[in-house]
Amino acid sequence: MSLIYDMNDINDMENESISKALEEALKNFETKTKQVPAGYFDQFELDLMQKIKTQMQAPQKARIVTLFLKQKKYLVAASLFFAIATGYLFFNKAENTTTQIAKVEIINIETLPDELIEAYVNNNELLAEVEWNSAIETVGTNLISIND
Amino acid sequence: MTDQALIIQFQNGDAKEGAFTQLLKRHRETVFFQIKKMVLEHADADDITQAVWIKVWNKLDGFKQESAFSTWLFRVAYNETLNFIAQKKRLKTHSTQNEIDHGFEHPSGHNGLKDTEIQIKLERAIAELPEKQRFVFMLRYYEAYDYEKIASITGTTVGGAKANYHQAVKKMTELLQQA
Repeated sequence: MSLIYDMNDINDMENESISKALEEALKNFETKTKQVPAGYFDQFELDLMQKIKTQMQAPQKARIVTLFLKQKKYLVAASLFFAIATGYLFFNKAENTTTQIAKVEIINIETLPDELIEAYVNNNELLAEVEWNSAIETVGTNLISIND
Repeated sequence: MTDQALIIQFQNGDAKEGAFTQLLKRHRETVFFQIKKMVLEHADADDITQAVWIKVWNKLDGFKQESAFSTWLFRVAYNETLNFIAQKKRLKTHSTQNEIDHGFEHPSGHNGLKDTEIQIKLERAIAELPEKQRFVFMLRYYEAYDYEKIASITGTTVGGAKANYHQAVKKMTELLQQA
């Protein structure tokens, strides 16, 4: 059967009469369903109102309220911003700390007594000389290769 | 006092119980009989009707009066009836499946009345109808509701409601004619 009805079908449905036999049976059906015990509806009202009162007196369940539900997207954005800002500050601070340590070392060298510096130079003089000579040799070699 | 005025009174909290009782007195019988025509058993109809009115009490504060109170009330009744039938079907699935169709027990002379053969046939025919068709038919035939209202209650279109009514009449006629 098609589920689509056009206007003619609908008008036919409206005009369709119910057979006498069905009409009679439906009338009896109504009579039968309308039979209720005497005073039923008054008692129904009393019972219902009693139930409602009991329901109202019963301790209410604690409602679960989600805070800031409407501002959820703003909260997410704020959390992300906070996380990024914290990360930036943390790493930036770490960098600054390293620089400071290096500075402290430089200051310490400058404040060293002259005797200590002289002793260092004397101890490392030979090494410095060797380094210096090897540097001259390298330059010399480069000069020779250029001349070639 | 109109339904609208009573609802406003209820929503304002002035004599809430009085306003509710007035509404109950006005509509209790129509709702009960509609439900009883759906489920036949008096006790079942009583349970569903109570559930309907408790829901009305709980939800009436939020009712915006965009439709008539009776439309909204019957919509609540329709949903509660469908829920009840579905629940009953689930409970009885493993026991007497053959005796039950559409959550409605085939009649066997309930209410202490002796049923005629045609009456038994009709009730069997009603039991064979899908719930929506049954509800639409009862509202149209017995309450003479217009199709717009029936469509709002059952959440269908006017054409759909007319089709449901037509199908219900057709099926019942066919089943009554069967030997």
